[in-house]
Amino acid sequence: MLWNTQLIHKYNISGPRYTSYPTAPQFDANISKLSLIEKMLLPSNKPLSLYFHVPYCAKLCYYCACNKVITSDYQKGDEYLELLIEEVRLKSLMVNEDREVQQLHFGGGTPTFLSIKAFTRLINYIKQHFNLLADDKGEYSIEVDPREISREKLVALRELGFNRLSFGIQDFNKRVQTTINRIQSYQLIDDLMAASRELSYQSINFDLIYGLPYQTVETFTETLDQVIELNPDRISVFNYAHIPRRFASQKLIPEDQLPDGDTKLAILKLCIDKLTEAGYQYIGMDHFAKPTDSLAMAQNQGELKRNFQGYTTHANCDLLAFGTSAISQIGHTYVQNHTATKDYRKSIESGQLAIMKGYVSNRDDQIRHNVIMSLICNFELDTSEVESEFDIVFKNYFKSELTELLKLEKDGIIELTNGPHLNIRVTDSGRLLIRCICMTFDKYLNNVISYSKVI
Amino acid sequence: MSLALNTARFNSKLTSQCQNCSLSALCLPISLADDDVNRLDQIIERKKPLKKGDILFRQGDEFESVYAVRTGTLKTFNITNSGEEQITGFYCPSELLGLSGIDKNIYPVSAKALETTTVCEIPFAHLEQLSEQIPTLKHQLFKVMSRKICDDQQMMVLLGKKNADEKVASLLLNLSARFKKRGYSATSFRLAMSRGEIGNYLGLAVETVSRVITRFQKNGMIQVDGKEISIVNLDQMQKLIGMSVDCDKIENI
Repeated sequence: MLWNTQLIHKYNISGPRYTSYPTAPQFDANISKLSLIEKMLLPSNKPLSLYFHVPYCAKLCYYCACNKVITSDYQKGDEYLELLIEEVRLKSLMVNEDREVQQLHFGGGTPTFLSIKAFTRLINYIKQHFNLLADDKGEYSIEVDPREISREKLVALRELGFNRLSFGIQDFNKRVQTTINRIQSYQLIDDLMAASRELSYQSINFDLIYGLPYQTVETFTETLDQVIELNPDRISVFNYAHIPRRFASQKLIPEDQLPDGDTKLAILKLCIDKLTEAGYQYIGMDHFAKPTDSLAMAQNQGELKRNFQGYTTHANCDLLAFGTSAISQIGHTYVQNHTATKDYRKSIESGQLAIMKGYVSNRDDQIRHNVIMSLICNFELDTSEVESEFDIVFKNYFKSELTELLKLEKDGIIELTNGPHLNIRVTDSGRLLIRCICMTFDKYLNNVISYSKVI
Repeated sequence: MSLALNTARFNSKLTSQCQNCSLSALCLPISLADDDVNRLDQIIERKKPLKKGDILFRQGDEFESVYAVRTGTLKTFNITNSGEEQITGFYCPSELLGLSGIDKNIYPVSAKALETTTVCEIPFAHLEQLSEQIPTLKHQLFKVMSRKICDDQQMMVLLGKKNADEKVASLLLNLSARFKKRGYSATSFRLAMSRGEIGNYLGLAVETVSRVITRFQKNGMIQVDGKEISIVNLDQMQKLIGMSVDCDKIENI
């Protein structure tokens, strides 16, 4: 991988992360719910990916920009569980019950806020209404707050069929941890890793964040050394976006202690250098994986895809999402649940899907979706594929985009090969700037939305 | 705690039976989407359970509604000039009946419950109006009607060309496919109709029906325990009616 500081400075603008195209800001709150539900009801035998959002957290992490509710009242988890269960029942009526659930993911908030009893009840209920795969044939994962998990819960989750864990690590430095209000010792993580391996969880992911207060190249070197020592299968390194105007708790973060732009870039470079040196493959965006991990293998075979959970190996799934703020994706239709718990509760209690917004992609959206996803997953686009699928001539269809692409080529971010069909390849130094390349194809970018910086 | 709490707390009228119903394209979107919770209740009426022998509608009555079977079984029949009953169809859960009234605005047949039966009633005027708003509902209705035409064409061939064994086997396989479609066992089910009703429907004497069933039992093709039927050798039965090459045909009857 080539680290080109000059290019990075030139192209380090703000942009979407393209977990979908069109991206969530395009979703329409006034769209007819009936029309969305009709799309969801179209018969299909595609496999399914199920996502469950648990918004509750016992403690507030100051940096967090997720949809969440801070409470120490664990009773709330049980009440929420009843709503999730009714939503499972309602949505199960909409799809063929034979469809394989190849992927199951619990995110939050803090999914492990739920009790063992609650998980047992929910998973058993899901099993009655959807075709969950036994014997670890599906990828069933859960985000874990290391402070909100016991060995018993880890055992129970494994027995219920979970086989992947994602730990929110963020940073091991004490001062950073204190400042962001998330204190968890190395020993705690070390014990968890040992227990997880012993219980034969198949893949363990670490989430790290760079750009947090008091972080320096030196402190993050120590953190990375500890991470590498713990040997997770996947690592995500997210860029902290400080937007206290939108996320009130970020006001508690001392702004004057945030690392400056150069330090952030140096930390990112450090991550790439250290992690690749330690044997991790740079997948793209903010993801790293061991070459033996399914994510890296999928990318090497050109089969990597991207959805709301980031990079994924399960391409051909429809995504059904449950809980507050969760986004379902059925074919090229997107449906987002209410973000506020009270709106979500009201809908589910009266027997309706808790739809807040949605979007039905048109043909142009689908073409652009394919182009953007191919670039972001494979760092390459063979235009003949999109040409034959949609019966277009790429150079005519994307005339104005081509002018932009030529500029990117001149800067060495991409390589264009003219043959019977144009081929776009992202160069090594262009990989970090993949969002900028994708933005070329985004028709909706003129709308004023504040995105995080691309790296 | 769970079930009792759920029913008390949640207002949804949708049940697991709704998923496979011929009207799913109506009830699912309306009840899942609508901000007006009561709209489905205004359109669809859940009738009180019919007891065995109760009449749902009578031949010659003004046609107002079609009905979706929720649980149980009904038969439709004509009364001939000589006062005899001729059975024209059996209706299982998830199936629609009453559609034959659209043409002349009267029901050309009567419908009677063969066992305790529950139905949802939908006024046809509503159905017509909603099918304009919900394209998939329109498509589903066309499919239901098309399937009914296919059924009746099969029935004509059956009545005109087939022997007694083939007739009884066809009916059993037809019922099996209908049960399977709703997620029940295709090989083990309960017949709601009597041997006499089967004979009437297929144009066979009741003795012939009994004889054929006994023969199927002896051949090891089926097992019978009162009204409970188990199809032991599905292949053999399909071969008997000459549809072994294309099993799909049987599925779609």
